[in-house]
Amino acid sequence: MRSAIVLGCVVLLAACSNPRQEVTSQLAQQVLLPAHQQWHDRNAALVQAVKGFCEGDAERASVAQAFMASQQGWSYLQPLMVGPLSEGNRSWQVQFYPDKRNMVAQQAEALLDSHDPLTQQALDGASVVVQGLTAFEYVLFDDSVDLQADKARYCPMLMGIAHHQQGLSGEVMALWEEAGGMLAQLTDFPNDRYASAEEALGGVLRVQITGVDVLKKKLGTPMGRLNQGVAQPYQAEAWRSRQSVASLQASLAGAQAVWERVRSLVSDGELAGKIDQAYAETRDKLEALPAPLFELVQDPANQPLLQDLYRSLDTLETLQQAELASDLGIQIGFNANDGD
Amino acid sequence: MPLTRRTLLSAGAALAGVAAVGGWSFWQGRGQSPLLLSARNDDAGQHYCAGYFLDGKQAFATPVRERCHDITRHPFLPLALFVGRRPSRESYLIDLRDGTLVQTLHSEPQRHFYGHAVFHRQGEWLYATENDLSDPGRGVLGRYRLDLDALRLVRDGEVPTHGVGPHQLKWMPDGESLVIANGGIRTESDSREKMNLDAMAPSLVIMDRHGERFSKETPEHRQNSIRHLAVADDGTVVSGQQYQGPAWDSVPLLAIKRPGQPYQTFPVATEQLAMMNQYTASIAIHSEQRLVAMTAPRANRFFVWDLDTAETVVDTPMSDCAGVGVVPSGFAVTSGQGRCRHFDCRGATVTSEWLDLPSGWWDNHLWLS
Repeated sequence: MRSAIVLGCVVLLAACSNPRQEVTSQLAQQVLLPAHQQWHDRNAALVQAVKGFCEGDAERASVAQAFMASQQGWSYLQPLMVGPLSEGNRSWQVQFYPDKRNMVAQQAEALLDSHDPLTQQALDGASVVVQGLTAFEYVLFDDSVDLQADKARYCPMLMGIAHHQQGLSGEVMALWEEAGGMLAQLTDFPNDRYASAEEALGGVLRVQITGVDVLKKKLGTPMGRLNQGVAQPYQAEAWRSRQSVASLQASLAGAQAVWERVRSLVSDGELAGKIDQAYAETRDKLEALPAPLFELVQDPANQPLLQDLYRSLDTLETLQQAELASDLGIQIGFNANDGD
Repeated sequence: MPLTRRTLLSAGAALAGVAAVGGWSFWQGRGQSPLLLSARNDDAGQHYCAGYFLDGKQAFATPVRERCHDITRHPFLPLALFVGRRPSRESYLIDLRDGTLVQTLHSEPQRHFYGHAVFHRQGEWLYATENDLSDPGRGVLGRYRLDLDALRLVRDGEVPTHGVGPHQLKWMPDGESLVIANGGIRTESDSREKMNLDAMAPSLVIMDRHGERFSKETPEHRQNSIRHLAVADDGTVVSGQQYQGPAWDSVPLLAIKRPGQPYQTFPVATEQLAMMNQYTASIAIHSEQRLVAMTAPRANRFFVWDLDTAETVVDTPMSDCAGVGVVPSGFAVTSGQGRCRHFDCRGATVTSEWLDLPSGWWDNHLWLS
């Protein structure tokens, strides 16, 4: 690059002079960065768990537990995913979802067939389809894989994915914490990304609101809402590990963490109460689900329960997308969502 | 001043030198900053044909029924056509002195606009890319004559664009031949739904304005829809693509056709391609500085490269960056969601500042004069 861009004609505002700047700064320092750190820490733990299993005497269950922690750390992050993790195709490297054609199983086996044993270099150079948690889940949970009996084949893939995830989250953390990085761009204004705290807050809220819409899709798709009502259990997120509901819960918690910081900016107290209630109701309905989503969607008797949960998510999304955005004067989308 | 043929032609006479010396000189001579024309929305979803000076002062904001996309200015009259966005059947001819809607141009019954059009340099003809709804996707170049007595654009005929789903078109330096981005995607009446993603046929066509084809070239990837164009003074054409295949594929999204050479990939870094989310929007070439700029709104990213070496000059985040246009110092960029920016690329260090234009709601193209 010819040179770094120098911002001209800027006026720095005192951090304490603007409530929106305070909230944005709090979000960055107390919610977004810690969530990224948690995800990174869990990826490091995943590496250790795989080592314990593949190189030592640890049980498969310890790897499963570490996988679920990484998966939930990632799910928590999704409604908070501003900046580096949302850029450069990185999120596809974390999770390949939705996998409409079961590409993960096909490509994981093909990669293993073509490399004996699989090397880190081969995995890092392979498709995103096999680099992330979905491929890890396939090896760990798919009925067709006898992991205990075939460690020689599958352990290099588990280790490769765990290292790839750790490298990815380490890269993202560096991009957050470096001088002028994402943390600075959410706390000192103006900067190369945002002209003002208002713009930054808008960016965070757009991602959070979109995140709630994604939750509707993650529930609605296996329910069959895009398939003329015919259930699609294999389109549930993390269906192999039966972690769909836990992932939804983690994402909802991430979205709620943003909302709780933003609430103080809302001028309409009644609206704030409604959004609080929508989060509480959705959380309660998720907790009350009696079985994994993979099983629930296959029994028509559960449709009323799932429809009720879907309606709660829909209410939450509408409250935030229409009323909260209007109250805060946040523009939700234009060309980025509907260009030409 | 009331709008009459006499006053419009009078204003046109005063502006007659503008085409020769460039709009920038004209506005600077009047002590005003350049006029930016763009389609815009407001918070309530109302669509506008908007004109703002780059210093932030509003020239006009004319409410219109349908969302527009690109703009083409008449070469010497104070008129511009704001072109209806796919699948619109309306475009709007605007008096730039006060924003008066001079004419709502309706497409033919079996045609809709694709959001792009160009005035011919002599001012009598306008050409627009259109969809033939009797054979959906078949691209046609609609031809309109500007009737100066009635101050109306009148449909005169059409020729094929030699491809499917045409989008942007630009004049080549001779001012008689056009380069056309046939996106390759078939859409049907009143719909934006893509009907042929497994059988796309994008192409870059150079033809004269009467329809004779000089060249037709295709991108390496069949699902790489050629959408937007810029042409340098020396005839170098740069195109921006929108890839319709998997989101995780790494596919070239810029291509270049240098004079006398085949259409080929413009070599940007793999990391930059990954930042574009398979979607490019507006392209501009600064012929004097030999730079090409591109907006990637889905990736919230703005880029500038050296046109000759492909060296990166600017690679910066910019929320929902939309239209980009050339100013003498570099580029002005609008945003669908945030503040608009100016990039001064003259020195060894690129400098940037935010413009005092309204924040957000700018559509993907602009015209600077």
